[in-house]
Amino acid sequence: MTLEIACPNCGERAHTEFAFGGEERPHDSPDVAADFERVFHPSNAEGPQRERWYHALGCRSWFVLTRDTRTNRVG
Amino acid sequence: MTPGPLRFEGREVPVFDGDTVASALFRSGVRTFSRSLKGHRRRGLYCGTGECPNCTVTVDGVPGVRSCITPAAGGMRVERGRGWPSAEHDLLHVADLAHPLMPVGFYLKTFIRPRFAWRMAERVIRRATGSGPLPANAPATRTISRHVRCETIVVGAGIAGLTAALEGAAGGERVLLCDEFAIGSRLAPGPTLDAVRALETRARATRAIEVFERHAALGLFDGPTVPLAGSDELVQVRADRVVVATGATESHQLFPGNDLPGVWLGRAASAMAALHGVAPGRRVVVVASTTEGVEHLQALVAAGARVVAAVVPAAFVDEVPHETEAIVDGELVEARGHGRLRSVIVRELGERRRIACDALVLSTGLGPRDELARMAVNETVRLVGDVALEADEPALGGGYLCLCEDVALHDAEQAWAEGFRSAEILKRYTTATMGPCQGAMCGPALSCFARGRAEAADMRSGARTTARPPLRPVALQTLAAPVHEVIEKRTGLHDTHVAAGATLGWSSGWKRPISYADPADEYRAVRERVGLMDVGTLGRFLIAGRDATTLAGVVFAGRIDDLEPGRSRYVLALDEGGYVVDDGLLCALENGSYLLTSTSGGAERMDARLREWAERLGLHVHVLDRTSELGAILVAGPRARDLVGGLTDDPIDAASLPYPGHRELTVAGVPCRAIRSGFVGELAFELHHPRSNGPRLWTSLQRAGRDMRLSPFGLAALELLRMEKGHVYLGQDTLPDDTPAKLGLARAVDMSKPWFVGKAALERLAELPPTRRLAGLVFEGAADGAELRGAPLTIGAAVVGRVTSAERSPALDRAIGLGWIRGGRDGFPSELRAGNAVARVVPTPFYDPEGTRIRG
Repeated sequence: MTLEIACPNCGERAHTEFAFGGEERPHDSPDVAADFERVFHPSNAEGPQRERWYHALGCRSWFVLTRDTRTNRVG
Repeated sequence: MTPGPLRFEGREVPVFDGDTVASALFRSGVRTFSRSLKGHRRRGLYCGTGECPNCTVTVDGVPGVRSCITPAAGGMRVERGRGWPSAEHDLLHVADLAHPLMPVGFYLKTFIRPRFAWRMAERVIRRATGSGPLPANAPATRTISRHVRCETIVVGAGIAGLTAALEGAAGGERVLLCDEFAIGSRLAPGPTLDAVRALETRARATRAIEVFERHAALGLFDGPTVPLAGSDELVQVRADRVVVATGATESHQLFPGNDLPGVWLGRAASAMAALHGVAPGRRVVVVASTTEGVEHLQALVAAGARVVAAVVPAAFVDEVPHETEAIVDGELVEARGHGRLRSVIVRELGERRRIACDALVLSTGLGPRDELARMAVNETVRLVGDVALEADEPALGGGYLCLCEDVALHDAEQAWAEGFRSAEILKRYTTATMGPCQGAMCGPALSCFARGRAEAADMRSGARTTARPPLRPVALQTLAAPVHEVIEKRTGLHDTHVAAGATLGWSSGWKRPISYADPADEYRAVRERVGLMDVGTLGRFLIAGRDATTLAGVVFAGRIDDLEPGRSRYVLALDEGGYVVDDGLLCALENGSYLLTSTSGGAERMDARLREWAERLGLHVHVLDRTSELGAILVAGPRARDLVGGLTDDPIDAASLPYPGHRELTVAGVPCRAIRSGFVGELAFELHHPRSNGPRLWTSLQRAGRDMRLSPFGLAALELLRMEKGHVYLGQDTLPDDTPAKLGLARAVDMSKPWFVGKAALERLAELPPTRRLAGLVFEGAADGAELRGAPLTIGAAVVGRVTSAERSPALDRAIGLGWIRGGRDGFPSELRAGNAVARVVPTPFYDPEGTRIRG
């Protein structure tokens, strides 16, 4: 797999510099039942998906991007 | 180039400017370059473009080097690989006579029964085949990996590739142009080379074109990404568009004798004559049916080679030089000779005619080098130039189909008769196209063979076989380059440990002392007197800002908001599944901020986790990673307070610096934050200090502790010390789905908090019956304990657990351990077996269960 990821701080970089943080799901409720939904029932989209990524070997910032899970195209 | 001769099998071979290894050897009279894989048949120079297997030799101990594309240099040691006692006089050539005994698919047919026969046969076959042994203990050279971005990558820098690159650049694209050789380096002087040089000059003057010569494309991956192998680097090119301009190979023709040394493809022969000044033979016959072939014919004659006859179609007859006899519309029937070419049989106007010669040069058609295009499953590529051609149909008159694997045409016919009736399964059964050339020579011929015999309706039968990376032979070290980087992390005390003669070992990226002399002595020093350990590998984070407490409360499962300044608390970090991923010690500072120490191996994960939740929740928090700027020395043992107290004027009595707590101290003039820690189970101070002061502090402590018979201790003693306390090593004693309860760490979780990472999952999991837990074990009937590490824990015949750590405990004078046990309806077992020993489940800690020594 080869992905190219645009870090908002560092620009386009090879995916090997990043760590994957899972699907982005809004985290706005302290309600435990809602949180359970968020954690254990991801939508697992086939197609564009909003995801969290961490620029581990760069600026160490977390950000959200959209990736097509079928083609690995980002953006 | 290093001047001077190279050494070839014990003799000196002169090297001229521009020589390849092959041209230098050929000039000095070498005709047999290798022996074939199965029949040990003589093989000579053939393709000249690095595609066929014939010219592979061993250079400086490295087997399988393609000598026709490897520049020669003085001092090289060159040998031929296969052959016993030598490639020149190879007794294993008898294998060729035994060809009928080794029919196609013989791996599947012979030596199968009796069963032991294969093991004996395999030993013989292994020794007789292969390219030669790999060099043992060869010093590893460094291969780097890098990523390059471009808009268009053009693979192949011939006329088509150069033109495509110039067009792309003119259209405003950033272009990367690559070729496995230097541009034009394999072309004989002539109109083609002139055209290439003119385009090359323009391309080099164009800023938007980046040229990567001597970088072979290895494949095409999603992205699209094309990895390129250079001599000392792997370049991963990510592009928007891929243009394939890899050209074509001259067709491999099948006729009896087609593998004799002396049979050449046109490019090899003309390059040998025109670039290296050596005629391919004394009497040369050329068979040319392409315009390129006529160029080769002219280049050979211009270079002074004696071409006695040229078989050409009528259209080219005027191009044949006058000193060469033109045989119009003749047909090549056979090449004859034993071990080398002596003559060819040509049919002319229905008459067979024998022409004596020692070189036969073939330029009869083209097969596209379209492997990259055939790999393009998810990506679209554009083909330009010869690679876009349909393959010419090679003649199938006999001889060898596959040079790499010694598959003759009659082998393919036999496989067909046995029912293997498409190119893909013929490939699997005969192993044709599976050799080093990966079908570059035989691929079109194999497909043509299948197509010619298949029912007209079965189109797939004659399709080309699947192309897979790598397209070119590549060293494993090149492929390993991206994962090869090992960064050795060192603490500020590294040199001190080396000077003390410590045995160093790897521990999660760090080089750390395993022990200094005897781990048992080091252990005793900590339990009875005082020991020193370098713990500068611990992750250290400053968490500050208005919302520091909120962040800590979210990331860690325990209660945080009641932690008073000056106090510390053991904290657990869970993932959202409720599983333990990290632990650490959180120290509350005076100003509402925190100093966090985390495990040595988990520091980067901890950093990512803290930043993640600060960002997700939009908190006012600053996370500062202080790991590399702070050193840390653990002073542990009953006399630790005497030792530290003697070097500081600050109060360190139990009231001023209680357990678990911390405070700033000046120790031996070094500003430290001292943290009371409990990991080894004794009175202990972790002295975190500016890294550069580490050696000074270490030396002062050692000197002051001499009277107490202080000893430094390493990871080996630490393992024993922490095991006696029943402390868990995350990763060693844990599994990826361990909740705090399974590890016996429920006390570090506060379920009354409104929310923390993993709480939702823990609530659900709490409703399930406990099925597995980590337990303390004492072993009866085991002398040492170490032999029990990893042993299954059994009840009767059932495996119900596994030992994760085991040691012989000096304090308990018996073998102890930690391990997983599974429970049933009636709870958890209390007695199990581990190998020959009885394992009894006991509460932990094993040593000082009340913790009075820690509080000391």
